[in-house]
Amino acid sequence: MQTVLFIVRRAAHSIVVLLGLSIVIFVISRILPGDPARIAAGARAPDWVVNNLREQMHLNDPLPVQYVYWLRDAVQGNFGLSLVTRRNVAQDIAEFFPATFELALYAGVIMAVLGISLGAIAARHKDSWIDNVMRVISYLGVVTPSFVWAIIFLLIFGFTLGWLPTLGRLTEGVPAPPRITGLYTVDALLTGRMDVFWDALKHIISPALALAMGSMAQQARITRAAMADNLAKDYIAAMRALGVPERVVMNKFLLKPSLIPTVSILGLDFAATMSNAFLVELIFNWPGISRYGINAMLRKDLNAIAAVILVLGVVFIVANILVDMAVAALDPRIRLSAARGV
Amino acid sequence: MRKLFPALLILALVLVLSACAQQPSPAQPAQEPAAGAAEQPAEPGAAPAGARVLRASFAWPTNIDPAMGSDFSSGTALANLYDTLVFPNPDGSVKPWLAESWESSDDGLTWTFQLRSGVKFHDGSDLTASDVVYSMERMQAVGEGFAYLFTDVVADVSAPDESTVVFTLSQPNGLFLPSLIRLYVLNEDLVRANTKAEGPYGENGDYGQEFLQTNDAGSGPYQVAEFPLEEYLLMERFGDWWGEFAPNAPDQFRMIAATEPATIRTLMSNQELDISDQWQPIESLEALQQIDGVEVAAFSNLTGFYFMLNNQLAPLDDLHCRRAVSYGFDYDTAVSLEWPGTTAMVGPVPKALGGHNPDVMVYPYDPERAREELAQCQYADAIQDYPIEFVWISEVPDEEKFALLFQANMADIGIPVEIVSMPWLSVVENTSKLETSPHLVSIYVSSDLPEAGPLLKQRYHSSTAATWSQNEWLLDPELDAAIDDSLATVDQEERFAKYRAIQADLAERAPSVFVYDQVEKHAYQSYLDWPAARGEIIPVMGYNIWAPAIGVNK
Amino acid sequence: MSQRSTAMPSLGREAWREMERNSRRENWGRAWYKFSHNPLSVIGLATVLLIVLLAIFAPFVTPYPEHAGPFTDFANAKQPPSLAHLFGTDVVGRDVFTRTIFGFRFSLSMGLVVLSLVVPPGVLLGLVAGYYHGTWLDTVIMRITDIFLAVPPLILALAIASVLKPNLFNSMLAVSLMWWPWYTRLVYGLTTQMRNEYFTTSAEIMGASRWHILFREILPNCVSPIFTKMSLDMGWVILIGASLSFVGLGVQPPKPGLGTMVANGARYLPDLWWIALFPALAIVVIVLGFNLLGDGLRDLFAAEEI
Repeated sequence: MQTVLFIVRRAAHSIVVLLGLSIVIFVISRILPGDPARIAAGARAPDWVVNNLREQMHLNDPLPVQYVYWLRDAVQGNFGLSLVTRRNVAQDIAEFFPATFELALYAGVIMAVLGISLGAIAARHKDSWIDNVMRVISYLGVVTPSFVWAIIFLLIFGFTLGWLPTLGRLTEGVPAPPRITGLYTVDALLTGRMDVFWDALKHIISPALALAMGSMAQQARITRAAMADNLAKDYIAAMRALGVPERVVMNKFLLKPSLIPTVSILGLDFAATMSNAFLVELIFNWPGISRYGINAMLRKDLNAIAAVILVLGVVFIVANILVDMAVAALDPRIRLSAARGV
Repeated sequence: MRKLFPALLILALVLVLSACAQQPSPAQPAQEPAAGAAEQPAEPGAAPAGARVLRASFAWPTNIDPAMGSDFSSGTALANLYDTLVFPNPDGSVKPWLAESWESSDDGLTWTFQLRSGVKFHDGSDLTASDVVYSMERMQAVGEGFAYLFTDVVADVSAPDESTVVFTLSQPNGLFLPSLIRLYVLNEDLVRANTKAEGPYGENGDYGQEFLQTNDAGSGPYQVAEFPLEEYLLMERFGDWWGEFAPNAPDQFRMIAATEPATIRTLMSNQELDISDQWQPIESLEALQQIDGVEVAAFSNLTGFYFMLNNQLAPLDDLHCRRAVSYGFDYDTAVSLEWPGTTAMVGPVPKALGGHNPDVMVYPYDPERAREELAQCQYADAIQDYPIEFVWISEVPDEEKFALLFQANMADIGIPVEIVSMPWLSVVENTSKLETSPHLVSIYVSSDLPEAGPLLKQRYHSSTAATWSQNEWLLDPELDAAIDDSLATVDQEERFAKYRAIQADLAERAPSVFVYDQVEKHAYQSYLDWPAARGEIIPVMGYNIWAPAIGVNK
Repeated sequence: MSQRSTAMPSLGREAWREMERNSRRENWGRAWYKFSHNPLSVIGLATVLLIVLLAIFAPFVTPYPEHAGPFTDFANAKQPPSLAHLFGTDVVGRDVFTRTIFGFRFSLSMGLVVLSLVVPPGVLLGLVAGYYHGTWLDTVIMRITDIFLAVPPLILALAIASVLKPNLFNSMLAVSLMWWPWYTRLVYGLTTQMRNEYFTTSAEIMGASRWHILFREILPNCVSPIFTKMSLDMGWVILIGASLSFVGLGVQPPKPGLGTMVANGARYLPDLWWIALFPALAIVVIVLGFNLLGDGLRDLFAAEEI
C-alpha cells in the first residue's frame, strides 16, 4: 500500500518536472533564428509550399499557442518530422532507442560487476598494495574522458589485435534478429540464433566497456569506501569473534549493507550513461538515440533535439524512482518517501 | 515478502519500459515490404552464400528521395536505384536510356521522347509515359536537390500516349537534354499509394516524401533492401532490370555511413570495405595504400574547391579587399597538401569542363601585391575591425588545413581571420540568408553537368544566391542575363564562347578565391574491376560508383 | 565612566579577536598537517598548482608560443616527438607541446568561468529555498531545480551549445545553465538542516535580520562543502568542456582546445599517435589533479565536521 502511494506521488511529481522540462525544451527549440517552415521544406522549395507548411505547423500563431499545439502532439508521441531523416521523429526514436538501451544495459552490467568486485577486493585488502593499485585504476577510470577510452579500445581491440569489430551492431551480412525487444543479443537468444548472438555480443563489448569505464571506477571507489566504513564497525568484529565463517561475514553482513550507496549511484549512472553515450556511439558508429541526438544537434534538427531530450528525461526520472525502490528493498530501515527529490 | 514486492515491481517496470521501447510505431515502412513491392527474401540482410557484395563508405546523410538528394552519396544511391531518360557517356554526351529516341522542334521549345517498352519497376509494374510526367511534376513542386535544373526551364510536360513524353520549355535551352540525367523516373502508382494526405503539397499531401525517404519507387538496377538510417543503405540487384550487368557485378551494394579514418582503415584492412569515401585525409590515404591489396584511385571529377567570399559583407564588398585576399593566398602550398595530380584552378570553373576559359585574369600568390591591393581597399585603415569569418565544413576534416593556411597567409598581410567549423546542414541553413551568410565558406562544388554553364549558374546566378552553392551574393541582373542567354544558346560553339566571356568577366571581379581543381580520391580493393580506377571516368557526380558496371572478383 | 565603559568592551573585543585569529591559525595549521599527510592530496595540489602556473606563464615557458595562434609550417608537419618538439608536431606543423600548454588555459578558464557563473546564484537560491523551507518560494525554486536535474547535464549543455554560435564563451554559458542546480541542491540540503540548529534559532530569538542569519550564520557553515564540491567540479566541468570541444562546440581553431586537439588528432591514429595522445594525457592529468585535490579537501572537512 505504501509502495503504491509512493509511486503515485512520485509519478505526480515527475509529471510536474516533465512539464517544466517541456517548456525549457520548447524555448530552446524556438530561440534559434530562422523560419522552421523554410528549414523543413528546404531552401529551394517553392514559396507556396512553405506557406502551406507554416500554416500546418501553426507558426502563424503566438508562441504560447504554439507551445500548446506542440505539447498536445508530444503527449501523443508526435514530435513532427525530423528535418534530416524526413521521417516521423517518434519512429526514428523507436528505432534508435533499443540500441542505446542495450548498450547502456551492458555498460551497466560491466559497471556493477567489475566495479563492485574491484571495490570489494580493495576493501578486503585495505591499505595494501592491491588497494593502492585499485585506487590508481579507479582514478584513471574516472578522469579519462569516455571518448578517449573509446578511441583506445577501438585501436587496441579493433585495429591492433583485430579481435573485435569496430562498426555498428552486427557484421554486414549477418541478419538482424527478428524484432522482439529490439536488443539484438536478447532477440538472437530468444530466436535461438547463437551465431547472431555472438556477433552482436562481439560488437557491443568495446563500446560498452568504453562507456562503463568512468562509472565503473566510481562504483569501485564507493563500494570500497562503504565496505571500509562497515568493516571498522563493532558488529563485524563481533561476528568474527563469534567464529562466523569469513565468507558469510563478507557476503551477508558486509557486502549487502555496503551496496546501498553503490546501488543508488549505479541506477543514476545507468540513466546518465544513456545520454552520455554520445561520443562513444559516434566513434563506434553505434546506431543509437544518443548518436541520433547529437547529429540532430549538430544539424539543428529541432524536432529531433526536443524529442531526444524529453525521452532521455523520462528515462532519467524513471530510473530515479527505480533506484529509490531498490534502495528501500536493500535496506528495510529506509522508508519510501516522496520527500526525496527527483 | 515485504522485500520481494518492490523487487517484483522493479522487474515489472523494467519490462514495461523495454516494451515501450520496442513498440513499433504505426507507420514503419522501412521494416515492411512496400505495398506491392517485389517479394523480399526471408532475411533481408542476409547475403545468400557466395553472393557478391560491393561495400563503399560515404559521408552521410544520404537522401534517396529523387526530388531532394543531390550530394555525392545521394547522387550515387539515386543513380543505382532509378533509371533516367538518358545516361551520361564518359565524353560528357548522353546516350539513349529509358528514352530510345527523341527529337526537338526547330525553335528548341518542344522535346518529344519515345520510351523503351518492357521496362519494369521494382514492383513488377510497367514504366509508362505518365510516370515520367508525374516525376517531373513532383520534382518541380518539391523543388529541392536537382530540381533547379528544371524549375524555370520546363513549362509543361505531357504524355500523349503510353510511350511518348512531350516537354515544353519556357525558352530554348542548350542543356535540357543532358539535364535529364537528373530526372529519376518514379513509379507513380506506388508513390500515390504511399502518400500521406496531410502535407504541404495541397491535394498531393506529402507527395510521398516520408515513403520515399526509406523506400525506392524506381526501375533501376538495384532496389532498396534495408535502410536503417544513419547506418547503411543496402541495395540488392533487381533481377528484371532491362539493362545489362557487368560480369561479376555485385548481388548487393552496401553504402556504409562511415568516414572516421580509424574505422575506415580497420574495415579496409579486414577487407570489410571495398571502396572508401572521398573525404579521407591525405595521411589516411597514404596509410591505406600500405595495406596489401589496397590501391588509391584518383581522378578529376569536375569539382572546384572555392573559398566563396561574401561580396555584400564588409570588408569583402570592396573589390580591392577581395583581390588582396586572392593574391595573398599560397596556392602552391595548398596544392602540395593535396593528392598528386591536383592543380590550381584557372578562373571560376574547373579546367575539364566544356567551355572553360584558360585565358582569364589569375591571381598568383604574391604577398606584396596583396598588400598593395589592401592599401587601396576602403577598409584598409580599419581592417582589424573586420575579421574575416572563415567557415569550413566539419565533415571534411582536410578543409581545416586550408583554413589554417589561409589564416596564416592573411595574418602575413595584416587581415585578421576567425576560423569556424560548421556541420554541413548548418552551412546550408546559414547561406540561405544574406544576414547569416559568413564572410567566407570553403567548399567543393561539383558540376552537375559536364559543361561550364550550369556550374556558372549554380555559383553566380541570382537564382542560386540564398543557397549553399553561392555565398557570393553577386545579385547582378546583367550577369544573370548573360548566364541565361548562354544556357539558352543551342549551338555548342556559340554557347561555349558565351561561357568564356562570362568567366573572363567574373575573374576580374575576384568574387571567390579559386583554389584548385579537385582530384577525387578513393582507396579501393584491387580485386574490384572498377571502371573509374581504370580511367573510364563518367564526368558526372554519382555515376562513378555505379554498381552494375563494377566487377567484384573476390 | 563613559571612558571605562567603552574601553572595557573594546579591550575585550580585541582579545577575543586575537583568540579567534590564533585558533583559526591553529585550525589551518592542523588542517594543513592532515592534508599534507595524504600523499595523493599533495600530488593533487602540486599538479593543480603546476598546471595553473604553466597556463599563466604559457607564453614564456613554451618554445613556440606563436604556434598557439594562426600559424602553419607544412615543411615541419607530422614530426614525431624529439628534443625540438617534445610532443611532436601536428599535420600543419605546429608544436603539440606548446599547444597542449596553451590548451590548459582554455580548460582552466572554462572551469573557472563556469564555476564563478554557477556558484553565486546556485548557492543563493539554495539558501533562500532552504530557509523558507515549506513555503511557496521553496516549492518554486526546488521544482525549477528538479527540472534541470531531470536531465543529465551533458545532453542539455550540448543542446544549448548547438543552438548558439560555437565558441568558448557559449560553451561555458551552456554548461553553466546546467550546473547551478547542483549547488542549489547541495546548499538547500545543508540549509534545511541548519535552520533548526541552535545557533540559527538563537540568532532568530536575538532578533537578527534574515539577511544576517542567511549570510552570517548559515552560509559560513556551508563553505567547506561548497568549496570541496567546487574543486571536484573543476575536473568535471573541464571534462565536459573537452567533450563539447570534441564535437566542435567549444574553443574554435586555431586556439588549442584539448578536446578539439584529441578529436582532430584521432583522425591520424595510430601512425601519428602523438597528435592525439599528449592532449588526451593532458586532460587526464588536469582532471586527475582536481579530483585528488577535491578528495583531499573532502576528507579534511568531513573529519573536521565530525
